[in-house]
Amino acid sequence: MVLLKKSFFVLMIFMLFIISGCRGSMPVYHISEDIDFSFYKKMAVLPLDNLTSEKYAGEIVRQVVISELLASGLVDVALPGDVKSAFNNIGIKSVSALTSDQIRALGKALKAEALILGAVEEYGEVKTGNVSAPQVTISLMMADTGSGSIVWSITKTRGGAGFMARHFGARQETISETVLMLVREAIRTLAEY
Amino acid sequence: MMNTKRKGKHGQSYLSFLLLCLLMLFTSACSSGMKQYVRPGADFRAIKAVAVLPLENFSSDKYANGKLRSKIIIELLSRGIDVIEPGEVVTALRYLKVRSIDSIRTEDIRAMGKMLNVNAVIKGSVEAFGISKGITVSYPEVSIHLTLIETATGNTVWSVWHTTGGASFWTRHFGAEGRTLDNASADVVREAFDAIY
Repeated sequence: MVLLKKSFFVLMIFMLFIISGCRGSMPVYHISEDIDFSFYKKMAVLPLDNLTSEKYAGEIVRQVVISELLASGLVDVALPGDVKSAFNNIGIKSVSALTSDQIRALGKALKAEALILGAVEEYGEVKTGNVSAPQVTISLMMADTGSGSIVWSITKTRGGAGFMARHFGARQETISETVLMLVREAIRTLAEY
Repeated sequence: MMNTKRKGKHGQSYLSFLLLCLLMLFTSACSSGMKQYVRPGADFRAIKAVAVLPLENFSSDKYANGKLRSKIIIELLSRGIDVIEPGEVVTALRYLKVRSIDSIRTEDIRAMGKMLNVNAVIKGSVEAFGISKGITVSYPEVSIHLTLIETATGNTVWSVWHTTGGASFWTRHFGAEGRTLDNASADVVREAFDAIY
């Protein structure tokens, strides 16, 4: 009887682990094999396309990308004001349709070896059953200003209420924390390279 | 025989207590840590006077940037850093024809340093400022990005992105009174500056 109780207890714990599981958070990313990352000393983060209904989602994620790039210690980042000024001088109106020539010209104007561009595809609360939780999806790309080509790209989603939050009232991530962790994980793929 | 039973009961309650502690640890969870950038060789003690630029506001509260800016000024003053009056900063920005804070360039920052006689400027943005709703409770959420830019070189010498976490363990499970939005914003500013001053 005692053995049965013990087995039941172990089974319950095992079930908990299985149910809580791991969400498939493997980032989908590409990185050119022939790049030497130590070559990149300065980058510029361009305004991100905002494909959400949240007015400032693009700018919010952009600020986190700037902060995380700096915090990673990998590169220096150009001031957003300098980026805006370069856009005006070169005559770029839309970030989503940059040509290779414009990428090269931006690199020269900003003295940056690479540009980060991308989009925020999802930003807000998602309802699963009777529980709402923040969910954010971003896609980021790094363009080499020497060649004008994309050398790194990533698409990543994070969010949703976890098992512990749904069932045991564990602390749920705020939307700010979701963005921070999402960007941090994305930049890590670049830093690890 | 009696002794063995008593030992067994003690063992069970001990195990239950251990499990409860483990569950509490699981449910309290950890927050994402603050990660910041400090330029190698930066000497923050040499920065005696700073100008705090108006913050960009990406939150739903129209005046969030103004509220956070005054908290930053108070925090810097309390740490012995001289802060230029906000009116002087506005005058300098007008003189330099900077229409919006997101269009300020490195050369504008250098010029501001000379005009206002400051060693550095603080530039930043408010990403979140308001009451957010969790699964069971509401909590204040404040997120800021601050950068300290040296006026002599135009280099960013410090950058931090910081946010308050969600509701605390005691608020979620025992209904304890949480922080107010004002407390949360003061905490987020203080914790950000704790790293350098």
